[in-house]
Amino acid sequence: MASLPITPAQRTLTSSALKLIGVGVDHRTAPIELRERVAYNPGQAEEMLSRLVATSEIAEACLLSTCNRTELYLKPHNEAAAYRTGLELVFLSRAPEIEEEGRFFVKRDLVAARHLLEVASGLQSMVLGEPEILGQVRQATGLAETVGASGTVLRKLLRTAVATGGRVRHETAIGSGAVSFGYAVVDLARNIFQHLDKCSVLILGAGETARQVARSLIERGAGELLVANRSPERAAAFLEVFPETHVVPFDERLEVLPRCDIVVASTGSSEPVLRAADVAAAMDRRKTRPLLLADLGVPRNVEAGAGEIGNVFLQDIDSLEDLISRNLKRRRQEVPRVQEILDYELAVFNEWHRGLAAEPVVALLQKRAEKIRRRELEAVRERLPAEVHDEVDRLTRSLVRKILHHPSHQLRRGNPLDAGKIGLVRALFQLDEDDEE
Amino acid sequence: MDTALRIASVLLPLLYLLVTVGYGFLFFAKRPAARKVAPPLFYATLALHLLYLVALAVRWHQFPMASVSQTLSAVAFAVALVYAFVEWHGREASTGFLMLLVASFLETLSALLRTPSPPDREIFHNPLFATHTGFALLHSTAFMVAATYGFLFLRLYHEIKRRRFSVFFGQLPPLEVLERMTSGALLVGFAALTGTMIAGAVWAKQEFEEPWLRDPKILMTFGIWLFYGVVLLLLRLRRLQGRQLALAALAGVVAILFSLLGVNLFLTEVHGFL
Repeated sequence: MASLPITPAQRTLTSSALKLIGVGVDHRTAPIELRERVAYNPGQAEEMLSRLVATSEIAEACLLSTCNRTELYLKPHNEAAAYRTGLELVFLSRAPEIEEEGRFFVKRDLVAARHLLEVASGLQSMVLGEPEILGQVRQATGLAETVGASGTVLRKLLRTAVATGGRVRHETAIGSGAVSFGYAVVDLARNIFQHLDKCSVLILGAGETARQVARSLIERGAGELLVANRSPERAAAFLEVFPETHVVPFDERLEVLPRCDIVVASTGSSEPVLRAADVAAAMDRRKTRPLLLADLGVPRNVEAGAGEIGNVFLQDIDSLEDLISRNLKRRRQEVPRVQEILDYELAVFNEWHRGLAAEPVVALLQKRAEKIRRRELEAVRERLPAEVHDEVDRLTRSLVRKILHHPSHQLRRGNPLDAGKIGLVRALFQLDEDDEE
Repeated sequence: MDTALRIASVLLPLLYLLVTVGYGFLFFAKRPAARKVAPPLFYATLALHLLYLVALAVRWHQFPMASVSQTLSAVAFAVALVYAFVEWHGREASTGFLMLLVASFLETLSALLRTPSPPDREIFHNPLFATHTGFALLHSTAFMVAATYGFLFLRLYHEIKRRRFSVFFGQLPPLEVLERMTSGALLVGFAALTGTMIAGAVWAKQEFEEPWLRDPKILMTFGIWLFYGVVLLLLRLRRLQGRQLALAALAGVVAILFSLLGVNLFLTEVHGFL
């Protein structure tokens, strides 16, 4: 049986009091064939979380499952046993070869916490900075809370991850610019037209690329969507996926062309489906309104001469790829800024966690002080006029609170591994006696 | 009043700077909060600037362009005023940074060059001449602003058309908006140019006995007015594409610069008093 592995590089960040295990499979460690076998839908994830926290070795658990990753985060009672149980239940039960081929990663303590923050920020995504992952982390957070699998520590960590992901997207350009053909078309359209919702779109072709572009346009609120395909069956299948579109017979594409602002051509035709003369005729009827032509076909679907016509913006697959690589480069330049934010948020989380370790001592200290206050107050109560009882009660409470404020704050901020300091506080204030009581 | 004017002359550059920073956040960082704060602050600054210029006119009993400082402030106001209209017309605030940076610079320079009292220039006491000059300043500024937006339009147009995407791509408003901002500035410019010509004609009739209609400056100005009129008419009839409008805005400014510099300096004596 393999023990919980730890690399030398992780050692520096594992000396904190945080006990956390992160086990996962992602696009870097495993091919799609393996990833899809360990993917969990929400129902399955809910059931698995319940099973995990029902075991004696796991205190808290969270399962994040997307098309590119399945990751399990555990707060253990017993580290080695929790790791083994988690690995077997979540991964090996579905794909035993994951362990044999070493197609998973294990991270511990703050390294695991940082990894989760990086995932939520899009740094670990296949497409750097992609936005969907933040929603998926948010969903996993909600699920763990609903099932009752996340406790104080994991709940705080997951919420920190969601907040950090949001902050990163708000304060940096990690998610800016299109990095897919679909969004590249949207990006270009937004540089030409003010209102995408008032734009009519004609999609020529009904294949995977056409669907990708249609999905992006619909997501960003494009107006009327028309689809024309040589095969009516494929057009009908397209309509099933995107019921908001209208099917136009392929032969009638030129008739609807003048009223379309964006045309996406992605057919398998070996001949151009739009000739320069067709576009010129349409532009005559469009008067001054510009036209965006996105030709995603190979061989090209739109005659190159169409790009020479005034107010026609013809983009082919090469230019869209140029745009995408330019945006990816810009996103990569943002990584150091994102790392700075993660450093800060992780430090805040770590400080909170350290304070958590001191919490029982702080509670005992407050309990002890309150006990003394009550006893002393009781001793003098009969000698004091009744009308000042409330006032004295308030005064003594305030005194105790103010005296304990600084020591409590220092204890919460201190290093939890510094057991001597906590022991000294316990001895000075005789807290162990109170604890026993 | 002098104390109030002194305070305003210091306050205005600071306000313009603040507004420019706000619009900068909108332009570079696309902060939604800046969209809520920067435009109202800008309109308040513009109103204060107008009050300041009116107060200057009242205080010195002449059009507030008698000194270099006053002229710079008036130009800054014209830039800001034209931009305010263009922002409203284009329903887009993201380019304010570029325009207000110019206004900020001019207003700061105006404050630095401020003298306790401007020279007394008799010609600026005449209300007709003041109107003529005010409109002239406004139309020149508006046409310059139109040319700037026209230039930005052409830059983005050619980037998309030639499929060569620079750092500007994604930073500027869409072509449709740039086109509307260009046409907005042209509208202000054309109206102000019309006002300039009418006020100038009435004033010149009072002042000069010699025939002045054949003066090259006047003919040139009339030609420019006709050119912009035709451009705006074609735009109204939807016969002018964005690129053509942008080129017209740039060509118009070249003609105005020629009229201001070339004709004024070498071919006319009518505007010799300038």
